[in-house]
Amino acid sequence: MLRFALSRALSLALSLIVASVVIFAVIEVIPGDSAAYMLGMNASPEAVEALRDQLGLNASIPERYLNWMGGMLTGDFGTSYTYKVPVSELVAQRLNVSVPLALYALILSTIIAIPVGLIAASTRGSVADYGIMGATQLGIAVPNFWFAMILVFIFAVTLRWFSAGGFPGWDQGLWPGIKALTLPAVALALPQASILARVMRSALIETLGQDYIRTARAKGLSRGQATTRHALRNALIPVLTIIGLQFSFLLAGAIIIENVFYLPGLGRLIFQGITQRDLVVVESLVMLLVFAVILVTFLVDIAYAAVDPRLRKPR
Amino acid sequence: MIHVENLSLSISDMSILRDVSFAIAPGKVTALVGESGSGKSMTAFTVMGLQPRAAQVTGRVMLGDENLLEADEKRLNRIRGNRIGMIFQEPMTALNPVKTIGDQVAETLLIHGKASRAEAHRIAAEKLTRVGLPPERFPLSRFPHELSGGQRQRVAIAMAFALSPELLIADEPTTALDVTTQAQILDLLNELVDESGMSLLLITHDLAVVAGMADQVAVMKEGEIVEADATEQLFRRMNHPYTQRLFAATSHQPDRSPLPADEVILDLDAVVREYPGAKRGLFGRSEPFRAVNEVSFKLHAGESLGLVGESGCGKSTLTRAILGLDPVQGGTITAFGQRVGPDFPNALRSGIQVVFQDPYASFNPRWRVERLVAEPFHLMPNPPADRRDRVARVLHDVGLGPEAMDRYIHEFSGGQRQRIAIARALITRPDLIVLDEAVSALDVSIRAQILDLIARLQAEHKLAYIFISHDLSVVRAVTDRVMVMKAGEIVEAGDTQTVFDAPQHPYTRQLIAATPRIPEDWQEANHA
Amino acid sequence: MRLPASLIFGVILSVFFVLVALVSFVWTPHDVAALNISAKMQAPNATYWLGTDHFGRDTLSMLMVGARTSIAVAIVAVGIGILVGVPLGLIAAANRGSLIDEIIMRGNDLVFAFPSLVIAILITAVFGPSAVNAILAIGIFNIPVFARVTRGGALSLWTLDYILAARVAGKGRLRISAEHILPNILNLLIVQGTIQFSLGILAEAALSYIGLGAQPPTPSWGRMLSEAQTMIYTAPRLALWPGLAIVAMVLGLNLMGDGLRDLTDPRLRRGRA
Repeated sequence: MLRFALSRALSLALSLIVASVVIFAVIEVIPGDSAAYMLGMNASPEAVEALRDQLGLNASIPERYLNWMGGMLTGDFGTSYTYKVPVSELVAQRLNVSVPLALYALILSTIIAIPVGLIAASTRGSVADYGIMGATQLGIAVPNFWFAMILVFIFAVTLRWFSAGGFPGWDQGLWPGIKALTLPAVALALPQASILARVMRSALIETLGQDYIRTARAKGLSRGQATTRHALRNALIPVLTIIGLQFSFLLAGAIIIENVFYLPGLGRLIFQGITQRDLVVVESLVMLLVFAVILVTFLVDIAYAAVDPRLRKPR
Repeated sequence: MIHVENLSLSISDMSILRDVSFAIAPGKVTALVGESGSGKSMTAFTVMGLQPRAAQVTGRVMLGDENLLEADEKRLNRIRGNRIGMIFQEPMTALNPVKTIGDQVAETLLIHGKASRAEAHRIAAEKLTRVGLPPERFPLSRFPHELSGGQRQRVAIAMAFALSPELLIADEPTTALDVTTQAQILDLLNELVDESGMSLLLITHDLAVVAGMADQVAVMKEGEIVEADATEQLFRRMNHPYTQRLFAATSHQPDRSPLPADEVILDLDAVVREYPGAKRGLFGRSEPFRAVNEVSFKLHAGESLGLVGESGCGKSTLTRAILGLDPVQGGTITAFGQRVGPDFPNALRSGIQVVFQDPYASFNPRWRVERLVAEPFHLMPNPPADRRDRVARVLHDVGLGPEAMDRYIHEFSGGQRQRIAIARALITRPDLIVLDEAVSALDVSIRAQILDLIARLQAEHKLAYIFISHDLSVVRAVTDRVMVMKAGEIVEAGDTQTVFDAPQHPYTRQLIAATPRIPEDWQEANHA
Repeated sequence: MRLPASLIFGVILSVFFVLVALVSFVWTPHDVAALNISAKMQAPNATYWLGTDHFGRDTLSMLMVGARTSIAVAIVAVGIGILVGVPLGLIAAANRGSLIDEIIMRGNDLVFAFPSLVIAILITAVFGPSAVNAILAIGIFNIPVFARVTRGGALSLWTLDYILAARVAGKGRLRISAEHILPNILNLLIVQGTIQFSLGILAEAALSYIGLGAQPPTPSWGRMLSEAQTMIYTAPRLALWPGLAIVAMVLGLNLMGDGLRDLTDPRLRRGRA
């Protein structure tokens, strides 16, 4: 198990290095002069030169890459050009919104999807199954930002139960924070829950058709017992993959939802960075998101091994 | 103790079982024997109450004085695993891969509330010891993937046997296993019947297994029992023509006389085939695995050479090397005077063709038969202009009409597909055809026909065969010489008759002893 | 054989939108480029069947042309994915375990590691927002999807005896991939293509919604929604129609994909016990 984790960790590090080179190339090398890009077309040559100096752009490309990576590793993400504050500070603030939002949506989606998928699989072919399948089909087809607008219209504009956007900050207490994140989390969770429920259903149906389920039934287990004691854990393997994928999607997919609800999260920060051409912010944030995705993939791999004994020993 | 009376079963108007009646006596072994599709497995599932939900069932399945067909699900759950246990054909998939063997055996006890958790594990250890998996060597914490097929079947038996049921149903329990493992599992089942007094319902296609195991036999065909009797009497009398046909097919000997062996067409000299070891870490690899170890033999034109051995012995690896698909790591393979390997010239490749085991996986489902059979023409520099005629001719050779050419492979039965596979192998007029378990997936009556065909084609075309099989009786019937392979090495080789009558190597003896056989004197009456 | 109901319904919906998009080339009820302030913010009526927006543009006409934008973007993006991803997947499968397989699969994992939307935003940000860049951004992420599906399907075929028979017939890996593998994974690719097509429609809508997709004056469903958002208090109807259009189109494609999968799944087709 430890050996397995170590070998996965090694490939995680490798992926991160390659990803960082790609990001560096896309943002710093391909567009040409970043300083000119950031200042726009009307900037004076002196201003551009000053910014080049400030960003360390006059060094060679490998040097710049190493400086950037070295900074990232020690927690120095550079200084935002538009906000004039260290990027790490901005990130820390924004994580306070983005991570709770992503977790909130993930929890919502999981606790809805797993029982729903279970019901659909165990009543396969029934009215309930068809209803669930139809509803999830619809859930996947609804763009989350449109669903968010509908939620705002119903719960904020018409019923006035929630505010239409904004975030009070956690210092106002736990409840106002959670309340402000509820509509965004629901909007994010709906399509994810639909996908997850369908994966859960098909994984469970697949497992219920396996020989060992027949063996379990021959031992005297009822259909329900065979499902809970034998099928569920095996069906969880594909479900885990999707949950892992979804976390990263929720973290990044929040860009749009955070914009609908004017939430000060990472997604909105990236979006603002891009529109304000603040490449320092964009570069570090993209790297951070990629790190999060790769880390989650790693954790899912480890979780696999916990569920499936066949993966524990590298043969 | 179990009486099946007038059991009929149909699924959406398709009749699967018709008026099946038989009785299973306590402490006896009853065999249901038949070819695929005869309904023998469906009968067993229905006794367990595990038939498909859509099935319409009539008749009675009496356990004591209770009709199981009328019992509700809850009642059946209390009977399954407790009074009737069942094991299945595929040990590789029959166990839950994410639960330990101890938990899975103990579950039988727990689910019926017969033991506390600790006690259930103690009994599980006991039962596993009884089936030959003592906890000292096979801890309860083992997972199924850490066991071989035979060991997994033992776990399945321990699970089914944990509550000492009155009846154990075994559905083709040894079909997926090697002969030596099969013999051990059958012995184990026999012992369990003897010591516990339970009954065994054995579902099998193999008459030889029946002869060695069963007290009573029922022969099934197309959903009906055509004949049932005490085993020895049934074999001696064989009242029903189907029973006679089945029996004749099982011990079928195609007419063949050895051709004069002259020139050597294939020559293997100390052939070594290795696989790279498993990856260790980023760059390291473990020791390479030697699948074929210094194998040498010569094959003459028109000769039939058998190659027998159990799964994993290196037969298939050797086949691939002979076909020139994989490079060898040592020694040489020479065919028609040229070194065989991945760059073996196409013109010579057309001299060696192959027929595989699985008639379902052997053909691209999207091609018509004409194109399928003509595929080896790719080996020729210019495809013949009379391609269609030549395809028609080889199809005729294997007993199929020219209309087959324009059809797709799914329109043919397993036996017909194997004929088409032989036609494909014949199309380039080869000197050698490798038959890799070519009849192993077929029912006995079809197998007999294909063996006849193979024998006839050999005489007509002066073909040499390498006949690879795990089935000793088939190899004995159709080869001139035989080689016995074990762990990558040829342990014994010689004239087929000599090797089978007086095996020299202990492994050969073991194989022959393990092969189930119908007693000679039971057969005499029929040949007269 | 009985066709699955979901397939019929899905095909009808999808074909409907394709027809609408085609019709929009030759006819729309009103000119979508013409601003007619005097007719702004009209409720649905006989002239403007679905009403008008704050510039007096006809909602129905905008929806019709928007369908065109969505479908065009999605088709090209799926095309990129198939044209690049399928050959990569075939090559990887044909050389299983080799260095080239390793490189292709690691490259795939790498693309998967990038949150797709972030990179789409990045591409459009660095190279400027436009429909073409949106297509590229969506298309790049379709490549690993198709590569993976192709490789997975191909690997299971490579173990079959008929592939071995083709090798015995002297055929090389490339020829086998083209003659035996590709035709037999076509159904997988069609199903995946339908799914990616619907995801492409959703992605295009999202990019246009945040202003990084098709640029004005080209109508697009996503931008119609972002404009409607500011008027959600006064005219929620403007946010209704484009949203419904997206849902119906994506639903149709997904149902079609599901139906096709059911149709081609041998386990469902042959009811063997």
